[in-house]
Amino acid sequence: MRPFTYTGAKNKEQALQSYSPTSHYLGGGTNLLDLMKEDVERPDQLIEVASLDYKKIFQNDKGGLTIGGMLSNSETANHPEVRKNYPLLSMSMLSAATAQIRNMATNGGNLLQRTRCPYFFEASMPCNKREPGSGCGAIKGMNSLHAIFGYSDSCIAVHPSDMCVGLAALGATVEVQKPDGSTRIIAFDDFHRLPGSQPEKDTNLMPGELITAIHLERPEFSEHYYYLKIRERSSYAFALISVAAGLQLKGGEITKAGLAMGGVAHKPWKFKEVEKFLVGKKPDESIFEAAAELAMKDAKPFEGNTYKVEMGKKAIVRALSQAYARKS
Amino acid sequence: MKTIKASGIGKPIDRIEGRLKVTGMAKYATEFPVENKVYAQAVNSTIAKGEIVSIDTSEAEKAAGVLAVLTHKNAEKLKAFEEEMPELGTTTIAPVLQSNKVHYYGEYVGLVVAETFEQATYAAKLVKVKYKEETPDIHLDKSRAKAYKPTESSDFSRGDMDAGMAAADQTLEATYNTPIEHHHPMELHAVIASWNNGKVLAYTSQQMVDNSTIVISDTFQIPKKDVRVVAAFVGGGFGSKLNTDRHVILALMASKKLGKPVQLTVTRNQMFTNTGMRQHNEQNMRIGAKKDGTLTALSHETLSHTSTFQEYQEPCGNVSKMLYKVPNNLIKHRLIPLNFQTPCSMRAPGEATGSFALESAMDEMAWKLKMDPIDFRIKNDTQIDLSEERPFSSRLLIECLRIGAEKFGWKERKMEPRTNTNGNWLIGYGVSAASREAPYKKTSSKVIISLEEGKAIATIQMDATDIGTGSYTIIAQTASEYLGIPTEDVTVELGDSNYPVTPGSGGSWGAASYCNGARAACENAIAELKRKKNIPEGEEIALADLLKQNDLTKFEAEGTAEPSEEFEKYSVFSFGANFSEVWVDKDTGMSRIKRMVNVGSAGKILNPKTAYGQIIGGLTMGVGMALTEQTKIEPNFGNFITRSFADYHAPVNLDMANVEVIFLPEEDKIANKMGVKGIGELGITSVAASIANAIFNATGKRMRDLPITPEKLIMAKLEPGVES
Repeated sequence: MRPFTYTGAKNKEQALQSYSPTSHYLGGGTNLLDLMKEDVERPDQLIEVASLDYKKIFQNDKGGLTIGGMLSNSETANHPEVRKNYPLLSMSMLSAATAQIRNMATNGGNLLQRTRCPYFFEASMPCNKREPGSGCGAIKGMNSLHAIFGYSDSCIAVHPSDMCVGLAALGATVEVQKPDGSTRIIAFDDFHRLPGSQPEKDTNLMPGELITAIHLERPEFSEHYYYLKIRERSSYAFALISVAAGLQLKGGEITKAGLAMGGVAHKPWKFKEVEKFLVGKKPDESIFEAAAELAMKDAKPFEGNTYKVEMGKKAIVRALSQAYARKS
Repeated sequence: MKTIKASGIGKPIDRIEGRLKVTGMAKYATEFPVENKVYAQAVNSTIAKGEIVSIDTSEAEKAAGVLAVLTHKNAEKLKAFEEEMPELGTTTIAPVLQSNKVHYYGEYVGLVVAETFEQATYAAKLVKVKYKEETPDIHLDKSRAKAYKPTESSDFSRGDMDAGMAAADQTLEATYNTPIEHHHPMELHAVIASWNNGKVLAYTSQQMVDNSTIVISDTFQIPKKDVRVVAAFVGGGFGSKLNTDRHVILALMASKKLGKPVQLTVTRNQMFTNTGMRQHNEQNMRIGAKKDGTLTALSHETLSHTSTFQEYQEPCGNVSKMLYKVPNNLIKHRLIPLNFQTPCSMRAPGEATGSFALESAMDEMAWKLKMDPIDFRIKNDTQIDLSEERPFSSRLLIECLRIGAEKFGWKERKMEPRTNTNGNWLIGYGVSAASREAPYKKTSSKVIISLEEGKAIATIQMDATDIGTGSYTIIAQTASEYLGIPTEDVTVELGDSNYPVTPGSGGSWGAASYCNGARAACENAIAELKRKKNIPEGEEIALADLLKQNDLTKFEAEGTAEPSEEFEKYSVFSFGANFSEVWVDKDTGMSRIKRMVNVGSAGKILNPKTAYGQIIGGLTMGVGMALTEQTKIEPNFGNFITRSFADYHAPVNLDMANVEVIFLPEEDKIANKMGVKGIGELGITSVAASIANAIFNATGKRMRDLPITPEKLIMAKLEPGVES
């Protein structure tokens, strides 16, 4: 690890004032510290923000729930309000990593997890995300874990978070503190970005901005929800494919649907068209199959990840079926 | 009269060193308090083949705390290999930093030594290496033309394979692949190396202490007597610590240069590239059988890779020489030199991988014959090892299969695949047979008996290692048994080359060798003490009384045990059977192992508790091999893209099943005087086949390439009516 200075921020103001373009906010450190040991992240200053007072969960004025940016993943996923009204979020979060990692990881940090692409992790390999202009090793290399949607010639990496897939299906906004002390709200779908020609940028956060809260919409999928995660071992593994599905039903018809997929794109992949398609339909296997076909129709796999198209379809049908059958 | 037998061999007592371990008092390699030590960090190559053009160490040398930077330019001359492609053994020299050639990605190209671990780690990143890169050979498939036959014993045949296939009613040919795997013991490879006035002291995590002193003395060309190796506790090895690897040599070079002890810990990432691995094996099987299940022919041809400078061959085909009664038999092993590190033994080398191919192929043939796979194996059982033309000392394979079938409820199995389902789950049962050679090697030990407040206590010393297996405990139990004192009055001191020589831990010979060695020392002590007082051999007398009669408060004796002539006339093996129930999700391709039954016949079980631990560990590793573990190669650069536990998927608790382990009572005095046979490797053997066979029974798909991941099962198409 390279030498760095450490600032334990006592309050928001100190955190924001300490920031410089070569420094990094430190939450739980479950991803950042690993990347520093791997020489991928090289900040000269860490500003510890995990102990700042953004750890509350409360009803917001829009009838939804606000979740503190510094609260741990464990405390969030196991919070009674989250479990009761946003079980899809809880389920997605609890499928991630291990209990120990979830205890350390913060909600804000989870949003900023970096890709697990092996080229990104190995400092001697080409990777445009780590070292802009060095090329993408994965496109013509080992791409079994990579994107099938929304990638570019520069980068085919995928976002690794489970929580973010749950949030994408639910609908949320992210509140950030700007360096000048004001706040801004970012729609969840606009928070993460596609790689384009700037894969080094994972999100639309501006330098120095600090995530302080996540605002959830009014609960709509508290009864019919499912988070399906397909992975190579039963726990402590990133998703090959994951699906967050939420349904709202009235009179035997779908009145609202939330559907997002993980492990397939540079950001949690929200199927807006499919969500619309499902509204007004009577839920059954054939509708779910049609939804899956629609969802995956634009998938463009690489040599090593063709399996993701078929797996993705099956995962969508399964997640929607489970969400429909589920009555919490 | 013997005072006590209650705590002797055969009892499931807790590990005698358990308290030390759970309280953090057991000293692993880098936990010895060595004063004045400094820290080293190795620098690894970032190309797979080529030459170092230049190394710029100036920035690293200027960094805080840095004491030295070693590269091929300033490293001392070590002994070089005397031949091309020497075979890798456990006493093979480990020269390092001897030239500018790079043979594989991650090869050591330098070493930075600094005052602190952090300084060394940081400065290692400042070493700048320029390479002249060549295209590496990294693809087994594309380099087939370079395959060669390593030694005469790589091939074996009896009868006429072609005639055997021609005489068959049913034939099978299939190819099975097992990927590169890594041992990944929990304790990282590590050493504190001291070079002091020409004398070496190395606290290092090794399985074989005496061999380690040989490697060090040969590599540096110094007398063996000047080398002391200590490995008191070893946090797992699985074969990766059989060899004394280059990090030990690097640390010693640095210590010699600086005149200070040097600590070097191999990182988890480096444990993919610098401490051995199991190579990719492509195994082609051919089987011929009569309608009634009688085998007529069996061939097992293995293609593997070794490094470009050293040879290691995993004997995958050996299991097919001896497990079944088949008159026509052909075994071949071929190697292709590739630009990867030299592979080495990994738990049950040969058997773990070979049994996957053989026992999968046997299952495939049983299905072709529409015969129960247990009946098919029993039909072809043999009490003679046909490869050596000598009897097995004991072989209870049929019993293992039958008792396992009973415990598992095998009769509930439906032979037709896809007929047992539950919702989205396809349920299958699988079986496989296991065999593992049970060697026994010359072993010496010393017993020190003393009288304390009228009570006899004893200490056993030998250079044996306990790599987590339970050696300390079973040696104490043995001494208790043969001295007639309670186990808690026995102290066991291991892992120091100053102690009497043993073969070390490997090849499943540890338990038999160590315990017979301890037995010999104890028997010698008792005999000697009796002789001095003319007490008849058969007379029972308490050890304390024996010392008192001799007017002694302390007495020492040594003993050596080794295989008898009788031993050489037999083939000595442990046998077993594995049963698995696997559920496959037809939509996600994820597999869940619901339960496993393992039956073993492995001679006298010294301690059912530690023995159970060995089998559980083996089964877990077998589950990893079957479903999750693989090291993936980057196809253009030749590095491993699996580089941490996040992406090298060793199984977690949730991947494991409910496991039932049964040891059959077995009396095998040909194996050795105590009737002890190894179980360290039996547990992993053929586990993967039983799981793959269960997956076939569940899905109708033959999964011949490990690991059987969701991706592969999705691509195999799990819809009904799609034929394999």
